[in-house]
Amino acid sequence: MEETKVVTGAWELSTFKFNVEGRGLQLMLKHMKDRKLMGIKCHQCGTVYLPGPFYCRKCHIKIDEPAEVSDHGQVMTFTIGYADVRGNPLDEPRIAPIVKLDGCDSWIMGVMQGCAPEDVHVGMRVKVQWAEETTGSLQDMQYFVPE
Amino acid sequence: MVELMRNVGIIGIGYTPVFVSKRKDVSIAEMISEAVDAGLKNTGLKPEDIDAYVFGNMATFEGVNLPHLWAAEHMRAVGKPIMRFATGGTIGMAAFHGAYYHVASGMADIAMAVTYEKHSEGDAQVGLMGIITPEVMAMLASGIDVTGQSGMGAIGGGSAGGISFQASSYLHRSGAGIEHIDAIAAMERRNAAKNPYAHLKDPEATAEKIAQTPMVSWPIRFGHICPTTDGATVCIVASEEKAAKIADKVAWVLGVANCASDATTANLIESQITDPAEQLPAIIASKKACERAGIEDPKKEIDYVEIYNGFAHQTLMYLEKIGMCEVGEAHKLLEAGELEMSGRCPVNASGGVVSTNSIGTSALNRVTECALQIMGQAGEHQVEKEVHKAMAHGWGGLMQYCTITILGDKPKKL
Repeated sequence: MEETKVVTGAWELSTFKFNVEGRGLQLMLKHMKDRKLMGIKCHQCGTVYLPGPFYCRKCHIKIDEPAEVSDHGQVMTFTIGYADVRGNPLDEPRIAPIVKLDGCDSWIMGVMQGCAPEDVHVGMRVKVQWAEETTGSLQDMQYFVPE
Repeated sequence: MVELMRNVGIIGIGYTPVFVSKRKDVSIAEMISEAVDAGLKNTGLKPEDIDAYVFGNMATFEGVNLPHLWAAEHMRAVGKPIMRFATGGTIGMAAFHGAYYHVASGMADIAMAVTYEKHSEGDAQVGLMGIITPEVMAMLASGIDVTGQSGMGAIGGGSAGGISFQASSYLHRSGAGIEHIDAIAAMERRNAAKNPYAHLKDPEATAEKIAQTPMVSWPIRFGHICPTTDGATVCIVASEEKAAKIADKVAWVLGVANCASDATTANLIESQITDPAEQLPAIIASKKACERAGIEDPKKEIDYVEIYNGFAHQTLMYLEKIGMCEVGEAHKLLEAGELEMSGRCPVNASGGVVSTNSIGTSALNRVTECALQIMGQAGEHQVEKEVHKAMAHGWGGLMQYCTITILGDKPKKL
């Protein structure tokens, strides 16, 4: 048996602050309580991002025009997880799609329910399943379900 | 048109005697010195001949913050210029480019790129966690379930989880199937069996055997994933004038390039927009490197390719991205046997990253393996056709950084 020495320490999670204050994320969260998805649109090229960044990735200019995005969209790619981070098998396979919501140009990651793993495919139409009680948290967007 | 400053050639390579899961007999610095000694021995150079050192290793993977300083004495670099690169999977080639720039610019005549990873003395998963820390912070701050059970917290489970989105997108958009990923993984494990410096070797590997390994994160199986390896690699480059005096055989650097894009997955703070299988940096960097090397059509002019494939589907995907075949064609080349060591477009005769991955070395090993093929010194895994020009590809970061090096058997006309 190998002898290992352990040095304990603490990791202050609140240490990390963003200058942008997650402005686009805050905007999105604020409207999620009303089951609305609010992104930011570039006034120059028209690209819509969700959550909205404070600059346009294509034009490299500051952007701040709110734009509502549909809660319906299309699967662009997906995976089905069979194991957790440490390699332990999951009780149920986990379907994780990346979805392009209608009216939005950026993609968003989530989990999917109400669908067998063998039925998921790229191009599949899906919609957001909202939580019964929305609180203005990212948990409000519970899953994607087949449209 | 970009002109080369002066010609630079690879005159020597040094590997640790083995690339394995655990090197318990040596420390990190001792392991590095093995590769340095091998490089010096292979070239007949003395430590005083090396003008500059460029060091490559990933921060946080072993929990050692300044390994280039710990190793300075062990790599005979005390009193010499040293710089360090830590660009993720591309580290090795970034370090090589650093050494190249030293010599190409005239700042040094002979430079050594030194790279290593000793995974057994750290936890790569913890290191990878550090890469997505900003995302996790944003998730926690926004009340998200980071276990991935609901909401937007589905990162998919470590590096294999992230990459499975890429593989899934690649399969859909190329027309390839999982069976092709199984087959390319098997081919590379068979190739690795011929390379004394490879880690996972299986001369009997078949697609059927790979297909029996457990599914980790669809479409990625256990058999498609690279190992974590202990090992070190060095590469010595010299100016044309010095190379003529020192080396019998030289692999000349014809063109280098690199490129970065956005993070491609899970960039929650500022959203994500890019298909993880698009890999625009690979397309841009390979075009740029070809332009610098004076290559118009890599399909016709490049004889050999080493691709950075932490996951087996990437060999096929990147062949398309770097212009070695059309989009949707790589799996057809595989079926036709063209990618084998005896084929028209041999790739990863070394066994690739999927067979050996000591991260700091992985992208440099793509360059050194191309150099060995050009010099005709690859031994049992020497490909059948003559290799006049070869392309080495590096990939990493989160998913968004690409490096390219093109080598040739003749120096470029200046």
